[in-house]
Amino acid sequence: MKGRNSGQIRIIEAFLAIFIIFSAVAISANLPTKSPNPANDSLASIGMQALLQLDSDGSLHVYIASGNWSRLREALNLLLPAGVSFNLRVYDAQMRQINMETVSNGGFNSQEITLVKYVCTGRSPEFRCYVIYLYLAVAK
Amino acid sequence: MVLLVLTAMTATAKILQPLINMSANVKAAQRLGEVARHMLLYAGKPADWGRNAQTIPEEFGLAETEASNPYALDIDKVSRLNSENIYGLSYAQIYTSLKAADLSFRIEIKPVFNVKVNQTATFEDSNETTYTFEVATEKDDGAPVSAVLKAYVLTENLLQALTIQNVDGRTSFNITLPKDLESPAVLVAFAKSTYNDRVVSYAVYSLTSSSGTTSKRGFLRLSPINHTLTVTPISNETILEKVYALTFNGVWQPTKTENHTFSIPASVDPCPTVLVAFGSHATQSFVEWTAYPQIPVEVGVDFTSLLSISDVYAYTSLVSVGRGIYKCTIFIGGLKP
Repeated sequence: MKGRNSGQIRIIEAFLAIFIIFSAVAISANLPTKSPNPANDSLASIGMQALLQLDSDGSLHVYIASGNWSRLREALNLLLPAGVSFNLRVYDAQMRQINMETVSNGGFNSQEITLVKYVCTGRSPEFRCYVIYLYLAVAK
Repeated sequence: MVLLVLTAMTATAKILQPLINMSANVKAAQRLGEVARHMLLYAGKPADWGRNAQTIPEEFGLAETEASNPYALDIDKVSRLNSENIYGLSYAQIYTSLKAADLSFRIEIKPVFNVKVNQTATFEDSNETTYTFEVATEKDDGAPVSAVLKAYVLTENLLQALTIQNVDGRTSFNITLPKDLESPAVLVAFAKSTYNDRVVSYAVYSLTSSSGTTSKRGFLRLSPINHTLTVTPISNETILEKVYALTFNGVWQPTKTENHTFSIPASVDPCPTVLVAFGSHATQSFVEWTAYPQIPVEVGVDFTSLLSISDVYAYTSLVSVGRGIYKCTIFIGGLKP
Protein backbone atom coordinates (compact mmCIF):
# COMPACT_ATOMS: atom_id res chain seq x y z
CA MET A 1 0.00 0.00 0.00
CA LYS A 2 2.82 2.37 1.03
CA GLY A 3 4.81 1.47 -2.10
CA ARG A 4 1.77 2.19 -4.31
CA ASN A 5 1.35 5.70 -2.70
CA SER A 6 5.01 6.36 -3.24
CA GLY A 7 4.55 5.51 -6.93
CA GLN A 8 1.64 7.93 -7.24
CA ILE A 9 3.71 10.73 -5.71
CA ARG A 10 6.50 10.00 -8.18
CA ILE A 11 3.99 10.34 -11.07
CA ILE A 12 2.68 13.66 -9.68
CA GLU A 13 6.28 14.83 -9.30
CA ALA A 14 7.00 13.88 -12.88
CA PHE A 15 3.95 15.80 -14.13
CA LEU A 16 4.97 18.80 -12.00
CA ALA A 17 8.50 18.67 -13.38
CA ILE A 18 7.15 18.50 -16.96
CA PHE A 19 4.82 21.44 -16.19
CA ILE A 20 7.71 23.54 -14.82
CA ILE A 21 9.94 22.73 -17.80
CA PHE A 22 7.21 23.47 -20.36
CA SER A 23 6.26 26.69 -18.54
CA ALA A 24 9.90 27.80 -18.67
CA VAL A 25 10.07 26.99 -22.38
CA ALA A 26 6.78 28.76 -23.08
CA ILE A 27 7.81 31.90 -21.16
CA SER A 28 11.30 32.08 -22.64
CA ALA A 29 9.94 31.62 -26.16
CA ASN A 30 7.78 34.71 -25.67
CA LEU A 31 10.57 36.84 -24.29
CA PRO A 32 11.95 39.24 -26.89
CA THR A 33 15.44 38.16 -27.89
CA LYS A 34 16.35 41.80 -28.32
CA SER A 35 14.26 44.55 -26.84
CA PRO A 36 13.45 47.49 -29.13
CA ASN A 37 15.77 50.35 -28.33
CA PRO A 38 14.06 53.77 -28.12
CA ALA A 39 17.39 55.40 -29.06
CA ASN A 40 17.34 53.56 -32.42
CA ASP A 41 13.75 54.69 -33.07
CA SER A 42 14.77 58.25 -32.32
CA LEU A 43 17.78 57.97 -34.65
CA ALA A 44 15.64 56.58 -37.46
CA SER A 45 13.11 59.35 -36.90
CA ILE A 46 15.66 62.17 -37.10
CA GLY A 47 17.25 60.56 -40.17
CA MET A 48 13.89 60.35 -41.91
CA GLN A 49 13.11 63.96 -40.98
CA ALA A 50 16.46 65.17 -42.36
CA LEU A 51 15.68 63.48 -45.70
CA LEU A 52 12.10 64.79 -45.65
CA GLN A 53 13.24 68.36 -45.06
CA LEU A 54 15.84 68.15 -47.84
CA ASP A 55 13.25 66.63 -50.16
CA SER A 56 10.44 69.09 -49.33
CA ASP A 57 11.85 71.82 -51.59
CA GLY A 58 13.46 69.47 -54.12
CA SER A 59 17.03 69.98 -52.85
CA LEU A 60 17.58 66.25 -52.34
CA HIS A 61 16.75 65.45 -55.96
CA VAL A 62 18.96 68.30 -57.17
CA TYR A 63 21.95 67.02 -55.15
CA ILE A 64 21.50 63.50 -56.53
CA ALA A 65 20.73 64.45 -60.14
CA SER A 66 23.76 66.74 -60.28
CA GLY A 67 26.00 64.24 -58.48
CA ASN A 68 26.87 66.89 -55.91
CA TRP A 69 27.72 64.36 -53.19
CA SER A 70 29.89 66.70 -51.14
CA ARG A 71 27.03 69.18 -50.82
CA LEU A 72 24.63 66.38 -49.83
CA ARG A 73 27.14 65.14 -47.23
CA GLU A 74 27.54 68.63 -45.74
CA ALA A 75 23.77 69.24 -45.70
CA LEU A 76 23.20 65.97 -43.81
CA ASN A 77 26.10 66.73 -41.50
CA LEU A 78 24.45 70.03 -40.64
CA LEU A 79 20.97 68.64 -40.08
CA LEU A 80 21.85 65.51 -38.11
CA PRO A 81 22.68 65.96 -34.43
CA ALA A 82 26.25 66.00 -33.21
CA GLY A 83 27.67 62.57 -32.53
CA VAL A 84 25.66 60.79 -35.20
CA SER A 85 27.64 58.95 -37.88
CA PHE A 86 25.98 58.38 -41.23
CA ASN A 87 26.60 56.62 -44.50
CA LEU A 88 24.27 57.23 -47.43
CA ARG A 89 23.82 55.12 -50.54
CA VAL A 90 21.69 56.10 -53.50
CA TYR A 91 20.28 53.50 -55.88
CA ASP A 92 18.32 53.91 -59.08
CA ALA A 93 14.99 52.14 -59.74
CA GLN A 94 16.87 48.96 -60.73
CA MET A 95 18.78 49.10 -57.41
CA ARG A 96 22.11 49.93 -59.03
CA GLN A 97 24.20 52.12 -56.78
CA ILE A 98 24.58 55.63 -58.20
CA ASN A 99 26.95 57.31 -55.78
CA MET A 100 30.44 56.09 -56.46
CA GLU A 101 31.74 58.65 -53.98
CA THR A 102 31.26 57.87 -50.29
CA VAL A 103 28.63 60.06 -48.66
CA SER A 104 29.61 59.68 -45.03
CA ASN A 105 31.00 61.64 -42.11
CA GLY A 106 33.31 58.91 -40.84
CA GLY A 107 33.49 55.23 -40.04
CA PHE A 108 30.97 53.47 -37.85
CA ASN A 109 32.37 52.26 -34.55
CA SER A 110 29.04 51.24 -33.10
CA GLN A 111 27.41 47.82 -33.06
CA GLU A 112 23.93 49.32 -33.38
CA ILE A 113 23.27 50.64 -36.87
CA THR A 114 19.88 52.00 -37.88
CA LEU A 115 18.74 51.94 -41.49
CA VAL A 116 16.37 54.51 -42.98
CA LYS A 117 14.95 53.74 -46.43
CA TYR A 118 13.60 56.65 -48.44
CA VAL A 119 12.27 57.03 -51.96
CA CYS A 120 12.97 60.32 -53.69
CA THR A 121 11.49 61.38 -57.01
CA GLY A 122 12.10 64.28 -59.33
CA ARG A 123 10.56 65.54 -62.54
CA SER A 124 13.22 67.69 -64.09
CA PRO A 125 14.36 67.16 -66.75
CA GLU A 126 12.55 63.81 -66.76
CA PHE A 127 10.85 61.68 -64.13
CA ARG A 128 13.40 59.82 -62.01
CA CYS A 129 13.10 57.70 -58.94
CA TYR A 130 15.88 57.08 -56.44
CA VAL A 131 16.02 54.73 -53.48
CA ILE A 132 18.08 56.07 -50.61
CA TYR A 133 19.55 53.96 -47.83
CA LEU A 134 20.73 56.06 -44.92
CA TYR A 135 22.71 54.12 -42.32
CA LEU A 136 22.95 55.85 -38.94
CA ALA A 137 24.81 55.11 -35.72
CA VAL A 138 25.64 56.96 -32.57
CA ALA A 139 29.39 57.64 -32.58
CA LYS A 140 31.09 56.24 -29.47
CA MET B 1 9.68 19.33 -3.39
CA VAL B 2 8.01 22.53 -2.09
CA LEU B 3 11.44 24.01 -1.51
CA LEU B 4 12.43 23.19 -5.07
CA VAL B 5 9.30 24.86 -6.51
CA LEU B 6 9.74 27.97 -4.34
CA THR B 7 13.40 28.25 -5.34
CA ALA B 8 12.51 27.87 -9.01
CA MET B 9 9.79 30.54 -8.74
CA THR B 10 12.11 32.98 -6.94
CA ALA B 11 14.88 32.46 -9.48
CA THR B 12 12.46 32.90 -12.39
CA ALA B 13 11.06 36.09 -10.86
CA LYS B 14 14.59 37.43 -10.35
CA ILE B 15 15.55 36.68 -13.95
CA LEU B 16 12.37 38.09 -15.46
CA GLN B 17 12.12 41.26 -13.36
CA PRO B 18 14.63 43.36 -15.41
CA LEU B 19 13.04 42.20 -18.68
CA ILE B 20 9.56 43.16 -17.44
CA ASN B 21 10.86 46.56 -16.28
CA MET B 22 12.66 47.14 -19.61
CA SER B 23 9.51 46.33 -21.51
CA ALA B 24 7.54 48.83 -19.39
CA ASN B 25 10.20 51.53 -19.96
CA VAL B 26 10.19 50.90 -23.72
CA LYS B 27 6.40 51.16 -23.79
CA ALA B 28 6.52 54.41 -21.79
CA ALA B 29 9.14 55.85 -24.15
CA GLN B 30 7.07 54.84 -27.18
CA ARG B 31 3.94 56.44 -25.75
CA LEU B 32 5.75 59.69 -24.94
CA GLY B 33 7.31 59.67 -28.42
CA GLU B 34 3.83 59.38 -29.92
CA VAL B 35 2.64 62.36 -27.82
CA ALA B 36 5.63 64.42 -29.04
CA ARG B 37 4.93 63.46 -32.67
CA HIS B 38 1.23 64.29 -32.18
CA MET B 39 2.15 67.84 -31.12
CA LEU B 40 4.16 68.34 -34.33
CA LEU B 41 1.91 66.54 -36.83
CA TYR B 42 -1.55 67.63 -35.62
CA ALA B 43 -2.91 71.09 -36.41
CA GLY B 44 -5.02 71.25 -33.25
CA LYS B 45 -8.63 72.27 -32.82
CA PRO B 46 -9.60 74.74 -34.19
CA ALA B 47 -6.99 74.17 -36.87
CA ASP B 48 -6.37 77.91 -37.32
CA TRP B 49 -5.99 78.75 -33.62
CA GLY B 50 -2.59 80.33 -34.30
CA ARG B 51 -3.70 83.29 -36.34
CA ASN B 52 -6.71 84.24 -34.22
CA ALA B 53 -5.23 86.11 -31.31
CA GLN B 54 -8.09 85.48 -28.89
CA THR B 55 -8.51 81.77 -29.67
CA ILE B 56 -7.34 79.29 -27.07
CA PRO B 57 -7.06 75.85 -28.68
CA GLU B 58 -9.36 73.12 -27.45
CA GLU B 59 -6.83 70.56 -28.66
CA PHE B 60 -3.14 71.36 -28.96
CA GLY B 61 -1.13 70.86 -32.15
CA LEU B 62 1.49 72.95 -33.90
CA ALA B 63 1.26 71.70 -37.48
CA GLU B 64 0.37 74.02 -40.32
CA THR B 65 -3.21 73.67 -41.57
CA GLU B 66 -3.25 71.74 -44.86
CA ALA B 67 0.55 71.41 -44.76
CA SER B 68 2.01 69.86 -47.91
CA ASN B 69 4.85 68.27 -45.94
CA PRO B 70 5.01 66.59 -42.55
CA TYR B 71 6.75 68.44 -39.71
CA ALA B 72 5.76 71.82 -41.20
CA LEU B 73 4.81 74.02 -38.24
CA ASP B 74 2.52 77.02 -38.37
CA ILE B 75 4.39 80.32 -38.07
CA ASP B 76 1.69 81.84 -35.80
CA LYS B 77 1.26 78.80 -33.56
CA VAL B 78 5.02 78.80 -32.98
CA SER B 79 5.00 82.55 -32.26
CA ARG B 80 2.19 82.08 -29.75
CA LEU B 81 4.39 79.73 -27.73
CA ASN B 82 6.69 82.67 -26.98
CA SER B 83 6.01 84.31 -23.62
CA GLU B 84 7.12 87.72 -25.01
CA ASN B 85 4.10 87.68 -27.31
CA ILE B 86 1.02 89.21 -25.65
CA TYR B 87 -1.07 86.58 -27.43
CA GLY B 88 1.21 83.79 -26.22
CA LEU B 89 -0.35 80.73 -24.57
CA SER B 90 0.47 80.03 -20.96
CA TYR B 91 1.79 76.63 -19.92
CA ALA B 92 -1.53 75.92 -18.22
CA GLN B 93 -3.44 76.59 -21.46
CA ILE B 94 -1.15 74.30 -23.45
CA TYR B 95 -1.29 71.64 -20.73
CA THR B 96 -5.09 71.70 -20.68
CA SER B 97 -5.42 71.55 -24.45
CA LEU B 98 -2.90 68.69 -24.72
CA LYS B 99 -5.34 66.54 -22.72
CA ALA B 100 -2.65 64.36 -21.14
CA ALA B 101 -3.06 65.02 -17.44
CA ASP B 102 -0.24 62.71 -16.35
CA LEU B 103 2.44 64.42 -18.45
CA SER B 104 4.53 67.53 -18.05
CA PHE B 105 6.57 68.84 -20.95
CA ARG B 106 8.84 71.49 -22.36
CA ILE B 107 9.00 72.61 -26.01
CA GLU B 108 12.13 74.25 -27.43
CA ILE B 109 12.38 75.47 -31.03
CA LYS B 110 15.64 77.02 -32.16
CA PRO B 111 17.81 77.36 -35.25
CA VAL B 112 19.89 74.36 -36.33
CA PHE B 113 23.01 76.46 -35.78
CA ASN B 114 23.80 79.61 -33.82
CA VAL B 115 25.18 82.98 -34.85
CA LYS B 116 27.44 84.38 -32.12
CA VAL B 117 28.41 88.04 -32.37
CA ASN B 118 31.32 89.39 -30.32
CA GLN B 119 32.57 92.95 -30.29
CA THR B 120 36.35 92.50 -30.13
CA ALA B 121 37.65 96.07 -30.48
CA THR B 122 36.56 99.73 -30.66
CA PHE B 123 38.58 102.56 -32.27
CA GLU B 124 37.51 106.16 -31.80
CA ASP B 125 38.58 109.27 -33.67
CA SER B 126 37.17 112.77 -33.56
CA ASN B 127 34.02 112.08 -35.61
CA GLU B 128 33.58 108.35 -35.90
CA THR B 129 33.74 105.15 -33.93
CA THR B 130 34.87 101.93 -35.59
CA TYR B 131 33.67 98.67 -34.08
CA THR B 132 35.33 95.35 -34.86
CA PHE B 133 33.10 92.30 -34.65
CA GLU B 134 33.84 88.61 -34.74
CA VAL B 135 30.96 86.46 -35.90
CA ALA B 136 30.93 82.69 -35.42
CA THR B 137 28.40 80.35 -36.99
CA GLU B 138 28.42 77.04 -35.16
CA LYS B 139 26.25 74.17 -33.98
CA ASP B 140 25.48 73.55 -30.31
CA ASP B 141 28.49 71.25 -30.01
CA GLY B 142 30.79 73.98 -31.36
CA ALA B 143 31.20 72.48 -34.84
CA PRO B 144 31.69 75.38 -37.32
CA VAL B 145 29.03 75.89 -39.98
CA SER B 146 29.90 77.33 -43.35
CA ALA B 147 27.44 80.14 -44.08
CA VAL B 148 26.77 83.30 -46.03
CA LEU B 149 26.30 86.27 -43.70
CA LYS B 150 24.34 89.43 -44.19
CA ALA B 151 24.84 92.09 -41.53
CA TYR B 152 22.86 95.29 -41.07
CA VAL B 153 23.67 98.17 -38.77
CA LEU B 154 20.53 100.09 -38.05
CA THR B 155 19.82 103.27 -36.15
CA GLU B 156 16.68 105.34 -36.28
CA ASN B 157 17.91 107.21 -39.37
CA LEU B 158 20.89 105.25 -40.67
CA LEU B 159 21.37 101.91 -42.36
CA GLN B 160 24.50 100.04 -43.40
CA ALA B 161 24.54 96.58 -44.99
CA LEU B 162 27.36 94.08 -45.51
CA THR B 163 27.39 90.68 -47.22
CA ILE B 164 30.13 88.34 -46.06
CA GLN B 165 31.00 84.90 -47.39
CA ASN B 166 31.84 83.11 -44.19
CA VAL B 167 33.58 79.98 -45.43
CA ASP B 168 34.98 78.42 -42.28
CA GLY B 169 32.37 79.39 -39.73
CA ARG B 170 34.26 82.35 -38.26
CA THR B 171 34.85 85.83 -39.66
CA SER B 172 35.42 89.39 -38.55
CA PHE B 173 34.49 92.78 -39.97
CA ASN B 174 34.48 96.49 -39.08
CA ILE B 175 31.61 98.91 -38.84
CA THR B 176 32.07 102.65 -38.64
CA LEU B 177 29.40 104.88 -37.14
CA PRO B 178 29.31 108.65 -36.56
CA LYS B 179 29.87 109.64 -32.95
CA ASP B 180 26.92 112.01 -32.81
CA LEU B 181 24.22 109.36 -33.13
CA GLU B 182 21.04 110.37 -31.40
CA SER B 183 19.52 106.93 -31.16
CA PRO B 184 20.90 103.55 -30.15
CA ALA B 185 22.11 101.20 -32.87
CA VAL B 186 21.70 97.49 -33.47
CA LEU B 187 23.66 95.01 -35.50
CA VAL B 188 21.43 92.37 -37.07
CA ALA B 189 23.29 89.39 -38.57
CA PHE B 190 21.52 86.80 -40.74
CA ALA B 191 23.21 83.56 -41.75
CA LYS B 192 22.28 80.99 -44.40
CA SER B 193 24.09 77.68 -44.63
CA THR B 194 26.26 77.44 -47.74
CA TYR B 195 24.99 73.91 -48.35
CA ASN B 196 21.27 74.48 -47.90
CA ASP B 197 19.81 77.96 -47.86
CA ARG B 198 16.77 76.88 -45.83
CA VAL B 199 18.98 76.25 -42.81
CA VAL B 200 19.12 79.73 -41.35
CA SER B 201 19.91 81.59 -38.16
CA TYR B 202 20.23 85.16 -36.94
CA ALA B 203 21.52 87.27 -34.07
CA VAL B 204 20.90 90.81 -32.88
CA TYR B 205 23.62 92.75 -31.09
CA SER B 206 22.94 96.04 -29.35
CA LEU B 207 25.40 98.94 -29.64
CA THR B 208 25.53 101.78 -27.14
CA SER B 209 25.17 105.22 -28.67
CA SER B 210 27.54 108.08 -27.83
CA SER B 211 24.85 110.02 -26.04
CA GLY B 212 24.92 107.45 -23.28
CA THR B 213 21.49 106.03 -23.94
CA THR B 214 21.44 102.30 -23.92
CA SER B 215 19.45 99.73 -25.79
CA LYS B 216 17.33 98.16 -23.15
CA ARG B 217 14.53 95.72 -23.62
CA GLY B 218 11.39 96.19 -21.63
CA PHE B 219 9.67 99.39 -22.77
CA LEU B 220 7.58 97.65 -25.43
CA ARG B 221 6.03 94.28 -26.05
CA LEU B 222 6.36 93.26 -29.68
CA SER B 223 3.83 90.64 -30.71
CA PRO B 224 3.91 89.44 -34.32
CA ILE B 225 0.97 87.28 -35.30
CA ASN B 226 -0.99 86.72 -38.53
CA HIS B 227 1.45 88.95 -40.46
CA THR B 228 0.69 91.86 -38.15
CA LEU B 229 3.01 93.34 -35.54
CA THR B 230 1.26 94.67 -32.46
CA VAL B 231 3.39 97.04 -30.40
CA THR B 232 2.27 97.48 -26.80
CA PRO B 233 4.03 100.23 -24.79
CA ILE B 234 4.37 99.49 -21.09
CA SER B 235 3.47 103.03 -20.05
CA ASN B 236 1.97 106.25 -21.40
CA GLU B 237 5.41 107.90 -21.32
CA THR B 238 6.72 105.47 -23.93
CA ILE B 239 6.72 106.92 -27.44
CA LEU B 240 7.19 104.69 -30.48
CA GLU B 241 9.26 106.46 -33.14
CA LYS B 242 9.98 104.04 -35.98
CA VAL B 243 9.64 100.37 -36.85
CA TYR B 244 11.81 98.53 -39.37
CA ALA B 245 11.52 95.02 -40.79
CA LEU B 246 14.73 93.28 -41.84
CA THR B 247 15.23 90.08 -43.79
CA PHE B 248 18.29 88.57 -45.44
CA ASN B 249 17.30 90.29 -48.69
CA GLY B 250 16.29 93.74 -47.55
CA VAL B 251 15.00 96.34 -45.11
CA TRP B 252 11.73 98.22 -45.18
CA GLN B 253 9.38 100.16 -42.94
CA PRO B 254 6.19 98.17 -42.36
CA THR B 255 2.91 99.88 -43.16
CA LYS B 256 1.05 101.18 -40.12
CA THR B 257 -2.45 99.69 -40.20
CA GLU B 258 -3.91 101.00 -36.94
CA ASN B 259 -2.54 102.66 -33.85
CA HIS B 260 0.54 100.60 -32.90
CA THR B 261 -0.10 97.81 -35.40
CA PHE B 262 2.00 97.25 -38.50
CA SER B 263 1.56 94.95 -41.46
CA ILE B 264 4.32 92.36 -42.06
CA PRO B 265 4.35 91.28 -45.72
CA ALA B 266 4.66 87.53 -46.37
CA SER B 267 8.31 86.80 -47.03
CA VAL B 268 9.59 84.15 -49.41
CA ASP B 269 12.93 84.26 -47.65
CA PRO B 270 13.69 81.32 -45.33
CA CYS B 271 15.27 83.70 -42.78
CA PRO B 272 12.98 85.09 -40.11
CA THR B 273 11.88 88.71 -40.40
CA VAL B 274 13.55 90.74 -37.63
CA LEU B 275 11.35 93.61 -36.45
CA VAL B 276 13.19 96.51 -34.83
CA ALA B 277 11.36 99.30 -32.98
CA PHE B 278 12.95 102.63 -31.98
CA GLY B 279 11.34 104.81 -29.36
CA SER B 280 11.86 106.88 -26.27
CA HIS B 281 10.77 106.65 -22.67
CA ALA B 282 10.90 109.94 -20.76
CA THR B 283 14.30 111.25 -21.95
CA GLN B 284 15.83 107.87 -22.72
CA SER B 285 15.85 106.51 -26.25
CA PHE B 286 15.74 102.79 -26.76
CA VAL B 287 15.63 100.08 -29.38
CA GLU B 288 13.86 96.75 -29.08
CA TRP B 289 13.41 93.87 -31.45
CA THR B 290 11.75 90.56 -32.07
CA ALA B 291 11.51 88.11 -34.97
CA TYR B 292 8.68 86.61 -36.98
CA PRO B 293 8.46 83.62 -36.46
CA GLN B 294 9.30 84.40 -32.82
CA ILE B 295 12.13 81.89 -32.60
CA PRO B 296 13.99 80.86 -30.43
CA VAL B 297 11.17 79.76 -28.19
CA GLU B 298 11.16 77.83 -24.93
CA VAL B 299 7.97 76.97 -23.11
CA GLY B 300 7.12 74.54 -20.36
CA VAL B 301 8.57 72.93 -17.29
CA ASP B 302 12.25 73.42 -16.54
CA PHE B 303 13.20 69.82 -15.84
CA THR B 304 16.81 70.66 -14.97
CA SER B 305 15.83 72.57 -11.84
CA LEU B 306 13.02 70.26 -10.89
CA LEU B 307 13.43 67.44 -8.42
CA SER B 308 11.26 65.35 -10.65
CA ILE B 309 9.87 62.01 -9.65
CA SER B 310 9.53 61.05 -13.28
CA ASP B 311 11.73 59.88 -16.11
CA VAL B 312 12.17 62.60 -18.72
CA TYR B 313 12.51 61.76 -22.41
CA ALA B 314 13.78 64.20 -25.06
CA TYR B 315 12.61 63.97 -28.68
CA THR B 316 14.46 66.05 -31.24
CA SER B 317 12.89 66.74 -34.62
CA LEU B 318 13.70 68.82 -37.65
CA VAL B 319 10.78 71.06 -38.45
CA SER B 320 10.08 73.76 -41.02
CA VAL B 321 8.56 77.07 -39.97
CA GLY B 322 7.82 79.31 -42.91
CA ARG B 323 10.52 78.25 -45.37
CA GLY B 324 13.27 77.83 -42.77
CA ILE B 325 14.39 74.59 -41.13
CA TYR B 326 14.66 74.58 -37.34
CA LYS B 327 15.34 72.12 -34.55
CA CYS B 328 12.53 71.29 -32.15
CA THR B 329 13.15 69.38 -28.93
CA ILE B 330 10.25 68.21 -26.82
CA PHE B 331 11.02 67.05 -23.30
CA ILE B 332 8.26 64.93 -21.78
CA GLY B 333 8.09 63.45 -18.33
CA GLY B 334 5.42 61.31 -16.81
CA LEU B 335 4.83 59.34 -13.69
CA LYS B 336 7.13 56.38 -13.18
CA PRO B 337 5.51 53.17 -14.37
